[in-house]
Amino acid sequence: MINWTLYKRGILGSWKLLIVFAAVITMYFTIIISMFDPSLGSALDEFAKAMPELMAIVGMNPASAELISFLEAYLYGFIMLVFPMLFCIISAHRLIARHVDRGSMTYLLSAPVKRETVAFTQMNVMVTGLILLMLYAALLGIVNCEISFPGELDIGKFILLNVGALCLQLFIGGICFLCSCVFNDSRYAVGAGAGIPALGFLIQMISNAGEKTENAKYATFFTLFDSDGIIAGEPGAFWGMAVLFAGAILLYLSAVVVFSKKDLHI
Amino acid sequence: MGICEIKGLTRDYGSGRGVFDLSFSIERGEVFGFLGPNGAGKTTTIRHLMGFLKPEKGYCAIGGKDCWKERAEIQKTLGYIPGEMVFFDDMTGTEFLSFLAKYRKMKSNARVKELLDRFELNPGSKLKKMSKGMKQKVGIVAAFMHDPEILILDEPTSGLDPLMQNRFIELVLEEKGRGKTVLMSSHIFEEVERTCDRVAIIKSGKLAALDAVEALKSAQAKKYVVTLENGGAAAAFAKEGLRVMDVSNNQVTVVVQNNLKEFISIMNRYPVINIVTPNQSLEEIFMQYYGCDNA
Repeated sequence: MINWTLYKRGILGSWKLLIVFAAVITMYFTIIISMFDPSLGSALDEFAKAMPELMAIVGMNPASAELISFLEAYLYGFIMLVFPMLFCIISAHRLIARHVDRGSMTYLLSAPVKRETVAFTQMNVMVTGLILLMLYAALLGIVNCEISFPGELDIGKFILLNVGALCLQLFIGGICFLCSCVFNDSRYAVGAGAGIPALGFLIQMISNAGEKTENAKYATFFTLFDSDGIIAGEPGAFWGMAVLFAGAILLYLSAVVVFSKKDLHI
Repeated sequence: MGICEIKGLTRDYGSGRGVFDLSFSIERGEVFGFLGPNGAGKTTTIRHLMGFLKPEKGYCAIGGKDCWKERAEIQKTLGYIPGEMVFFDDMTGTEFLSFLAKYRKMKSNARVKELLDRFELNPGSKLKKMSKGMKQKVGIVAAFMHDPEILILDEPTSGLDPLMQNRFIELVLEEKGRGKTVLMSSHIFEEVERTCDRVAIIKSGKLAALDAVEALKSAQAKKYVVTLENGGAAAAFAKEGLRVMDVSNNQVTVVVQNNLKEFISIMNRYPVINIVTPNQSLEEIFMQYYGCDNA
């Protein structure tokens, strides 16, 4: 089902993008973790007190003074949502829609390789990149915390938090990849692939803004990633993760099927 | 039954574009010319043969296999030169060819070297920096390197200089000699004349004509624009019984086919000051022959 030549080529082509995203994440992790102060509350907490609404909108309102809550609020409410999402949008487009739009898909399909195999391989390239990025972030968080605040981080919960974030990103990646397979035109592929997750994120920001708009959370899949719940060990949060994961698989399967059945004007 | 069969193939893009109830068959070992003006439906037909498009009606098959359902299987023994060369722009030609060889799971690379030498191509530079001709050569190597049984060539020599066009014709003839089947769309008379056994002409998505290439050779009806001293002479010249296409002022456009001597003897009697043969496209020559100029 996988063409390893194409897979290798895809991974080689993703390196630069991965390094850029890893660098951005490294920067944020290092800066934000250094702002944690277990005794006094961090500078960021001061912000949260001064501008509670604004910080809440971007998910930055920690539930407790523990390091894990700090990371959850300041990194997994915005940075670790937006940057991997951008990676998915760019990757998904590069791997399918761009080749179709430009015409270079011709060469992948004028060979004895099934369309299913091409789509499935490209999907694996994207998912591999995404997993590498999330894995790197998790390791970076653990190493950073152990160096600056040895023993403070609940590593088990932090890993769970990362698994949750990965499920969410796989789901987002599924949306992007499906859009990349559905649309023949780059503009629409990127428009829908970026637009749908961005809209979901926007609705989440609105629902975070206050009690009046809280119900908006039912209109976005971002709610299924309940980072507070994961840390608190609530069963609902794990169900959310499972739903995201199952949804992701469904999205990838649909993408492969759509790509195999559609007309290609290449 | 031919090795490549198209039956009742229809795809309607609306406003008269597409292909409509197209049927023809190509025999094994035959070089088949596929001609027609731009937008006639050549590329649409080829996309169906390649399994990129699903026929709305009708079907096409290669080697007895359905082009849509068994496209990956068909590709094992098929070589394709697309009408437009778009590669992965960040690769060099060498990287691209070796990528394709591995991607196709090719067992031998012997053919690649031979083809590179034949077309004097050094594929070491980045594909996006290559000239149109060089890209075309890379595309040719990519299409022939796995020694396919069937070749689908969409304007294969566009961008090549005359020397390389000639090498390409030789290559096609060699392949034909080895029993390969070729479907080739082209705008170049010499290419078609020298390689093809039969020719199909497609116009507005419909088959306009299908004939042996010998017919094409005798069909070389040529157009001449004769300029005379004055309008009166031109009007009289036009009434001499030649096939006149157009008269404007002192210029007369005539079509000459197998009656060159008569044409010359008539010209002898008139104050002719110039003769020009305007460039005619292959399609034009054909359309004239088959009397479908205005179809």
